[in-house]
Amino acid sequence: MNDWSDDDALMAALSEAVGEADEVTDRRREAAQAAFTWRSVDAELMELLHDSALEAGAAVRGAADPGRLLSFGRGELTIELEVGAGAVTGQVLPAQDATVTLQATGVEDRTVAADGAGFFRIEEVGSGPVRFVVTTSETNLTTAWVTL
Amino acid sequence: MDTSYPLQALVASAREGDQGAWNAIVERFLPLVCALVRRHRLSEADGDDVCQTVWLRLVEHLDTLREPDALPGWISTTTRNECLRLLAARKRMTPVDPMDSGSLEGVTADVSGVELVALEERHALREGLAELPAGRRELLLLLLADPPISYAEISERLDIPVGSIGPTRARALEQLRNTRAMRALASASLESEGERR
Repeated sequence: MNDWSDDDALMAALSEAVGEADEVTDRRREAAQAAFTWRSVDAELMELLHDSALEAGAAVRGAADPGRLLSFGRGELTIELEVGAGAVTGQVLPAQDATVTLQATGVEDRTVAADGAGFFRIEEVGSGPVRFVVTTSETNLTTAWVTL
Repeated sequence: MDTSYPLQALVASAREGDQGAWNAIVERFLPLVCALVRRHRLSEADGDDVCQTVWLRLVEHLDTLREPDALPGWISTTTRNECLRLLAARKRMTPVDPMDSGSLEGVTADVSGVELVALEERHALREGLAELPAGRRELLLLLLADPPISYAEISERLDIPVGSIGPTRARALEQLRNTRAMRALASASLESEGERR
């Protein structure tokens, strides 16, 4: 901890602290404020179970690298995702009829149907924060947000 | 509601759906989030994305946040994790030369403990400043202005005698040292020193 008993030292520290706040861009401020519009009190959340980006040695890979693998789950239901170049493929487990909706900021929701085995594919997925809503005959679950 | 409200009250109102309270939370913590993002050396666009993900995650986390005092720690940890995840994900998407060992270092490029303490200190200083009465806060901000503002102009703007600027500055700084935010920082620092022994 710094010694801030000295007035000039404290002013210098304060100057740095205030300067840091001045570096915040309006773009980030507006995006942060707008995040609140995504508030949904009754959404049931699927927590992140796995993200291959966090695996040790993620940067070392062979030619057959499958892309980034993510999975989210709540109770029995899980959704596994593979993020490839521009597209996301995945599977809802246990395998069942379901729809998967991709939500991203600033664009319309996009919904695709999973086949009987739970497989689905969403094309033209850009970078940025996204989440997925899985709707089955019994439930409606939303994944945590993740940055692609 | 503005940033001078206690965090407890802001979190409670945001839970009720108050956008103004949410904006005040954003205003208080965005500099910390941005500073953390900057230290991870993401591209500007990726930095924007991580930043927004942190706030989206906080929106979904609001109702399960048991203790609003845990918010600074939650925001700091979430921001660092999201930065590291995106850095690692970006490395997957670019060709890697296995002979280039330097390319692996970025994967664990977390901020150092020393940097983290400095970031938390600057956050506490801003929080302390927000706790001060408006007049004293304004005086300190005018004294910090870059380029500097003369005492004569400060005197005119705040309608106080030039001779009282120095003594008021000293009182404002003493008050700052005794704000809740700064006392919390001092006790947290003592605790961590105790742990080290």
